[in-house]
Amino acid sequence: MVTHRADQPPRPVDPPFSPVLLAGLALAPVPPRLLQPLFDAILSVVRRRHPDILDRLSAYPDAVVGIDPVDLPFTLVLEPIPGQPRLTVCRDFDDLRPTAVIRGPLRMLFDLCEGRIDGDAAFFSRQLVIEGDTEVVLALRNAVDGAGIDLEGDFAATVGPLAAPLRRAARMGGWLFERMSRDMALVRSAIVGPALRGADAQSARISELETELAEMRRSLRHRERRA
Amino acid sequence: MSAENVELVCPAGTPAALKAAVDAGADCVYVGFRDETNARNFPGLNFSRPELADGIAYAHERGTKVLVAINTFPRAGQPEIWRKAVDDAARLKADAVILADVGLCDYAHRAHPELRLHLSVQASASSAEAIRFYHQAFGIQRAVLPRVLTVPEIAALCGQVPIEMEVFVFGGLCVMAEGRCSLSSYATGQSPNMNGVCSPASHVRYVEKGDKVVSQLGGFTINTFRSGESAGYPTLCKGRFEANGRLSYLFEEPTSLNTLSLLPDLIAAGVTAFKIEGRQRGRAYVGNVVTAFRRAVDAIRRGETPPAIDLDAITEGNRQTSGAYERSWR
Repeated sequence: MVTHRADQPPRPVDPPFSPVLLAGLALAPVPPRLLQPLFDAILSVVRRRHPDILDRLSAYPDAVVGIDPVDLPFTLVLEPIPGQPRLTVCRDFDDLRPTAVIRGPLRMLFDLCEGRIDGDAAFFSRQLVIEGDTEVVLALRNAVDGAGIDLEGDFAATVGPLAAPLRRAARMGGWLFERMSRDMALVRSAIVGPALRGADAQSARISELETELAEMRRSLRHRERRA
Repeated sequence: MSAENVELVCPAGTPAALKAAVDAGADCVYVGFRDETNARNFPGLNFSRPELADGIAYAHERGTKVLVAINTFPRAGQPEIWRKAVDDAARLKADAVILADVGLCDYAHRAHPELRLHLSVQASASSAEAIRFYHQAFGIQRAVLPRVLTVPEIAALCGQVPIEMEVFVFGGLCVMAEGRCSLSSYATGQSPNMNGVCSPASHVRYVEKGDKVVSQLGGFTINTFRSGESAGYPTLCKGRFEANGRLSYLFEEPTSLNTLSLLPDLIAAGVTAFKIEGRQRGRAYVGNVVTAFRRAVDAIRRGETPPAIDLDAITEGNRQTSGAYERSWR
């Protein structure tokens, strides 16, 4: 196992302007240790309902994987130790040397867990950042994607007879989240829209100039060859 | 060849991806065992024997075939795990195995005469003579063609060989002589052709430097992506290098093959099966791409033009190409 640390501070992924970001601001004063029981319960559900995830990670017993939901004021550390895996909530990775780190908006991380989006596509589009040991990240991605996780189903299976009312509440929460996301996108576009239009115009002009420059270079090389 | 008989051959790297492919309308799903016997030997990917048994049962119940790729080249004197992979695929009732190595073709042909054999793209058989040899010597019934032929060249081949032809229609684009490429081996010491890993993840690093991300393979810097620029796979054939004072992609840009609009031409050329690349991709990719190509093939069967379907979001580098099929430089 190769432990790697980037030699320069990584560029953080810009958090999207979303309800998660606002919730994160509200959660900022909460000490991470108060959230730990929640993540202990989540890990317990994963072990019970998706043991294949940890099975596929068994080749990496010493891995320390940092998961950074960039719109929340805390991070997670996954240690897939066979038989006693740990999922720990931390403020940041400052006191750790994670084998690998995955950074992205919370919603994207949930979508990846449920297989609603493709991890490679998220990486290609630069919305997802990975650092450190790529092998561990890939193993985790494949293990989670291959498990067929259904967060709502997993949640329902955990709460027993309360599943139906909680499922309804979750759907209502999802609807409210979508509604808030749309409203916040509207506010964002009203504030930054004019600036973005200016940037788009500049970008188009730069692209034109790059094309002209490439053409001039081609022409110059052609002349040099003929000379 | 008519559109009625064309098969859609779809990738699955995990049981969840296999279900996604079957549910999205795959005619065949191709998979690999969780070891170096296949050319997608990536961490956390592929099937254990029990997983494959379950996957085959799931697929067969829904009328979908399962093909097992055993398409790396065995180490000299140590063919055991490759032979065991062939034995297990036959025992688990796989519909075919996809092979590249001559010795393994011979073993499968002798040990399992009832097992259908396909020739992997890793065999790089691109001439009628080569394909006929595999058919005559080992009873190969289908060949997967390398991604270097034009549509007229494929049509000519189809007319000269007595077996089915399969071509790639979407996904990662290998532009080298497949099964012979040593670029990744040179940089990492591990072979795509024998260990099953092109650009093994253990040798890949992405380093964030300011607003840029630098991709490295085996210590070699192979690309630097600017802020907002779409990234690609860390393969040397898609690296951006400086040569003669000019920075450019020497072999191929980060891009994905997409032949949706060429499907009628490929059918007219005599192609029997359309292969979608991407066993290393997630189930969302599999579901989206298989759904798109299912719609396209069904439209062609109805005598309609395949619909334009936007797959840009899941392509490498957010770019698409028709590859060598229409390659003007050829």
